[in-house]
Amino acid sequence: MKRFLLLVLFLVGLGWALTNYQGLAAQGTYDSLILDFREDVGAAQIESQIEAIAQKFTVSPRYNSEFSLDDHIFVVKGDAALLNQLRHSPLKELTEYIEPNYIYRQYAIPNDPEYGKQWNLRSINVEQAWDETKGKDITVAVIDTGISAVPDLEKTNFAAGYDFVNDQADAKDDNGHGTHVAGTIAQSTNNSFGVAGIAYEATLMPLKVLSSQGGGTVADIAEAIRFAADNGAAVINMSLGGGGESNLMKEAIAHAHEKGVVVVAAAGNAGRNAAEYPARYPYVIGVAALDAAGNKAPYSNYGAGIDIAAPGGLINGDDKSGGILQNTLNPATGESVFEAYQGTSMAAPHVAGVAALVKAMGVENPDDVAAVIQQSALPVPDDNLNHYGAGKLNAAEAVKLAGKGKFSFKDFFRWLRDNGYLNPRFWFDGGIIALWPKVFMVLGSYLLAWLLKHYFPFAWSWSMSTGLVMGSSGLFFLRGLYLYDAPQWPFRLLGSSIPEMGTAVQASGLLNPLFASVLIPLALLALLLGHRQLKWFAIGTTIGVGMCLAVSAAVDPALLWLGDGTIARTFLAVNAILCLALARLVLKPEGRTA
Amino acid sequence: MSIQVEGKIERQGFGSGTWALVSQSGETYELHQAPAALQQAGITVKVSGKIRDDIMTMAMIGPVLEVERFEVQG
Repeated sequence: MKRFLLLVLFLVGLGWALTNYQGLAAQGTYDSLILDFREDVGAAQIESQIEAIAQKFTVSPRYNSEFSLDDHIFVVKGDAALLNQLRHSPLKELTEYIEPNYIYRQYAIPNDPEYGKQWNLRSINVEQAWDETKGKDITVAVIDTGISAVPDLEKTNFAAGYDFVNDQADAKDDNGHGTHVAGTIAQSTNNSFGVAGIAYEATLMPLKVLSSQGGGTVADIAEAIRFAADNGAAVINMSLGGGGESNLMKEAIAHAHEKGVVVVAAAGNAGRNAAEYPARYPYVIGVAALDAAGNKAPYSNYGAGIDIAAPGGLINGDDKSGGILQNTLNPATGESVFEAYQGTSMAAPHVAGVAALVKAMGVENPDDVAAVIQQSALPVPDDNLNHYGAGKLNAAEAVKLAGKGKFSFKDFFRWLRDNGYLNPRFWFDGGIIALWPKVFMVLGSYLLAWLLKHYFPFAWSWSMSTGLVMGSSGLFFLRGLYLYDAPQWPFRLLGSSIPEMGTAVQASGLLNPLFASVLIPLALLALLLGHRQLKWFAIGTTIGVGMCLAVSAAVDPALLWLGDGTIARTFLAVNAILCLALARLVLKPEGRTA
Repeated sequence: MSIQVEGKIERQGFGSGTWALVSQSGETYELHQAPAALQQAGITVKVSGKIRDDIMTMAMIGPVLEVERFEVQG
């Protein structure tokens, strides 16, 4: 009987849920309605009905097209109110259906014939961003090898720049790199020629600091940054890097930041841990490179200083389809060519272009622009080595978020990071830690210890607390700490709880079942039970590990070798229970003697 | 800082391309204004020169090495 009642309740609930589910159809927009008359209704009858509707609702129904005649399909201007009235009128009997004529929106696809090869632009959802802005009236300084007036930059706006290598006003390109980078930012688009750029109504400011061989001095680059900031640039792109720390350059960047300029730089192509200068200076958005599949490109630097990831491409031998295609010049002949390049040099201008779009949406402060770009990025889970920073660049979401005009800051993290750059030199990624499970683990283990204390009284001690923390969450904030040029694994190990230690060195998000089990608590207890104080560390650890395993079983049961399904969940849950039973067992006689 | 590096010359495909010296221990150096004789992929060379800490480049593949003397070994 009880079962029957439950079944009835379940069915009623299900029925209610289904009837109230509006589905996707409720989300579209429409300004007209479709009437489909039944096949067996005669033409004369349809005509009289149409006339009746026309008079009653003062509308003029029409055939959708000449092909609609045989199908008896009419379209009538109207909204939800009319739809409702028609559905409740005698017309209902004569029609197969009356429904909204949804408007399908096609995002503006540019008419540039080679646009189809620009996987990179589609992967950052730039088409949807173009619905809002194309970067009009925003000046982007390209500090590079210069920019040449190749044909596909003909419709692009230019501001006066400077050639710091040859000390002249005309900053022409003699390498090809700067023109390519400029193309990603603002290639002439919708001009029925060549390829597209991201902020194609923005203005480019060419600043040449790199020679035809692709190198330049820190002094020239610092001067170029000041030139850009003092001459109206809103965004600076630096697809360059290397060398050591320079106060001259650091001050130039701080000056630009003070003037409201967004500074973007490439992370570097050495495939090493930590970004190059200038990406690692404060106030600079450091950009790592993605390949066409959205993975970190093998050459891209990672770790400290990476704020976001954007398409940089990966060229596989002669197949250049995985590279970033723009119009540039052949350095040998000086002729215009469409060429695919790869590198974090190509990733940075994607971010600079989106920064121009965000600025054009009215976001002024460079910290706000950086926050919008980072918060709108597609986060990459389990990014333990900080390959991607805040995630993958998303132009559509960035522009949408900028349009909302409100975004919350992680002020604390920013403060920590900015100060961290000065001394000691570290970089903190607040996004790396799934915070709530950790909080549950610590609080849960303390709560459990408190409960156990209630039944089996014991004295709270420092070693007990240490055990609880080490067993449950570890010093988890250390996991997001990256020290420039230092290996990352010591911080991960220090920042791991005991169950996490089995995979901390190799930066895996999975747990090692040998460590994430009752084994270590058991061994600790066996070793330390005879010791007056250390015993409490072992007991605390046992409770902590138990809680860590319980939360992992509930939230994220991903284990090495055992997968992340029922087997892993059961393994974790059983071990959690064993840990807690063990703690209870050890505490019990203690309670009696106390 | 003056150093000696033995290794292979490589043409690395960043931007319009750049000349690199990959040492026997696997460290990659970017050659600053590579002499014409070194602009040949695959040759083994012994280079002495200095690391230019004041130079930034578009290739960003490693420390920038300005060649002072070199010896092509094969």
